[in-house]
Amino acid sequence: MGITRGLVITVLFGIVLFLLIPAYVPRPRFIPGFAPPPDMWPRTVSMLGMALGILLVGLSFSRKTEAIADPEDASTIRGDTPLVTLLTRFGWTVLAFALFIGSVMLLGFLLSSILLLMAMLILTGYWRHKVVAAIVAVALPLVLYLFFSSALNTRFPVGSLFKAIGI
Amino acid sequence: MLNDLLVAFQAVATIENFLIMAAGIWGGVIIGAIPGMTGTMAVTLALPFTFYMQPIPSILLLVALYKGSTYGGSVSAILIKTPGTASAACTTLDGYPLAQQGKAGKALNMALYSSCTGDFISNLSLIFIAAPLALLALRIGPPEYFMLMIFALTTVAGVSGRSLLLGLVSACLGLLLATVGEDMYGSFRFDLTVDMQSGLAVAPVLIGLFAIPELLKIIVFRNNQSHKPMQLGDNRVTRDELRRSLKAMLKGSMIGVVMGAIPGIGPSAAAFSSYGEAQRSSKNRENFGKGELEGIAASESANNGCCGSTMIPLLALGVPGDVITGVMLGAFMIHGMTPGPMLFENNLHEVYMLFIGMLFSSVLLFGAGKATMRFFSHISRIPPGLMAPIVLALCVFGIFSISNSMYDVIVLLAMGIFGFFMFLFAIPAAPFLIAFILGPMLEENLRRALALSRGDPSILVSSPITWLFASLAIFVVVVTIRQQLKKAKV
Repeated sequence: MGITRGLVITVLFGIVLFLLIPAYVPRPRFIPGFAPPPDMWPRTVSMLGMALGILLVGLSFSRKTEAIADPEDASTIRGDTPLVTLLTRFGWTVLAFALFIGSVMLLGFLLSSILLLMAMLILTGYWRHKVVAAIVAVALPLVLYLFFSSALNTRFPVGSLFKAIGI
Repeated sequence: MLNDLLVAFQAVATIENFLIMAAGIWGGVIIGAIPGMTGTMAVTLALPFTFYMQPIPSILLLVALYKGSTYGGSVSAILIKTPGTASAACTTLDGYPLAQQGKAGKALNMALYSSCTGDFISNLSLIFIAAPLALLALRIGPPEYFMLMIFALTTVAGVSGRSLLLGLVSACLGLLLATVGEDMYGSFRFDLTVDMQSGLAVAPVLIGLFAIPELLKIIVFRNNQSHKPMQLGDNRVTRDELRRSLKAMLKGSMIGVVMGAIPGIGPSAAAFSSYGEAQRSSKNRENFGKGELEGIAASESANNGCCGSTMIPLLALGVPGDVITGVMLGAFMIHGMTPGPMLFENNLHEVYMLFIGMLFSSVLLFGAGKATMRFFSHISRIPPGLMAPIVLALCVFGIFSISNSMYDVIVLLAMGIFGFFMFLFAIPAAPFLIAFILGPMLEENLRRALALSRGDPSILVSSPITWLFASLAIFVVVVTIRQQLKKAKV
């Protein structure tokens, strides 16, 4: 775990340092006074992050210093559940998030939230209490929608589908 | 000062403010009592609602939530042996054995008395220490501020999680993310989309990082069982028991005040230190861990003793010592107030209102805790599988309402996934968040210092104060590494 983690951290900061900063942090032609350029700080932090990542990898090789780099055993977090099952559950959750974001403009914020909440209750395993889960999934977004739109004047997206059918 | 406090008293003592604080205390206790829900989550979830409130009531709401959740953590610690918050872990040691003996009510009452005592003493310390410290802070410039923030970040990175290196990695990630958007001279950085030109707002990053990973943990690892709580049983704390625990309570409060005022230390460490000290100095030390009321008094007074004093570095220096004060810093800024020495110059009336409100909230904590102890004992039954999706709905609606923008909701969910990966890699979230909040200030002070010195970095170690903070940061690094190596040998 320690080596993988160190490598991931090194690569992550490396991408920022060598790809993202040159592309997305332009240096202005004129910098007032002796002020450092805008890329100075992100560069410094990325270099520090990369150094820490390399240090984590290096320390993971020695038994003496392993505790500093890798204080935890990943299996204690994972338990006995197979990795495929964990990844599937994670994948469904991310898909539900993505579908929620994608559906807001079509179905509107309220209906999308109800569907998201239903999906989450199914994924957490609480859906076996069908009545309570269904009441929560419908009533909570409705109450929140009414509260925010009437009391705080929030304008939630209605959804093109509902607009098209004239609601 | 007394006159100012009296004027502030009049301004705070309104029904509206009392209702807000009572709601905060109750909400905090409820959230704190649910295992897996933390004080941080309580405060972050309330943040979007504060956008629509006046500055001081909104800060008071957050403070009340913090205090309520710190006490609330003891409810589930005592009744179901699962601390609602990390700082209540120590309370489990004696609280649960007492509950098993049919004395859960007694344990809860002792936790309440101790929490209120610690809280009140902590508030007094805030009132008397913050202003003089702010006066001192007025004399320090950008290099000193930069070093102070480096010290705060190092301490937070050192004590959060189990590895200093991972804490520092977390801080670097936070600092990097804080650079997204427009910088102090008007240059845009990492503007991959048009929305990103305005940067990442504090609320979605913060809520995403702390609330959403909890949901993901429940879904992915199915850690979803609910617990059967103990009955309250024997309720009263006798005068003799109270007198016997008073020493531990007062000592715990002082430990909480001191440890809360140091950035990064926080209530968990304070509770364990206070417990250790109470055990060392008690006549009943062999009874600790088997159901000793002094143990509960020590841990609960210490963790609530941090509540007021964590605000000292925030108000006086503008440096949050932990995640909750980090959220409060965000709330202050949302309302156009910048914590730090200038707050005492520009918003003195508001500061005094905050002080008075915090004193009131100690009293309210006692009232709310007493009146609804029986009700709170049922809260710990709510299964996480139901609670986590409810929290998600609150987050999504709350975040959207802040700026009527789906961009913030996307940031919220993306940060949730990012936070989950941080959890998988055992990278602590607290340094990330403190760094994200302090990042712009840190960079601004560094760039200002370098501009003042015409690019010479030696300005960062040019005064005794910068040396002091640099030495303290190095000291923290050395001590933490030594401790980690020692632990590894054991």
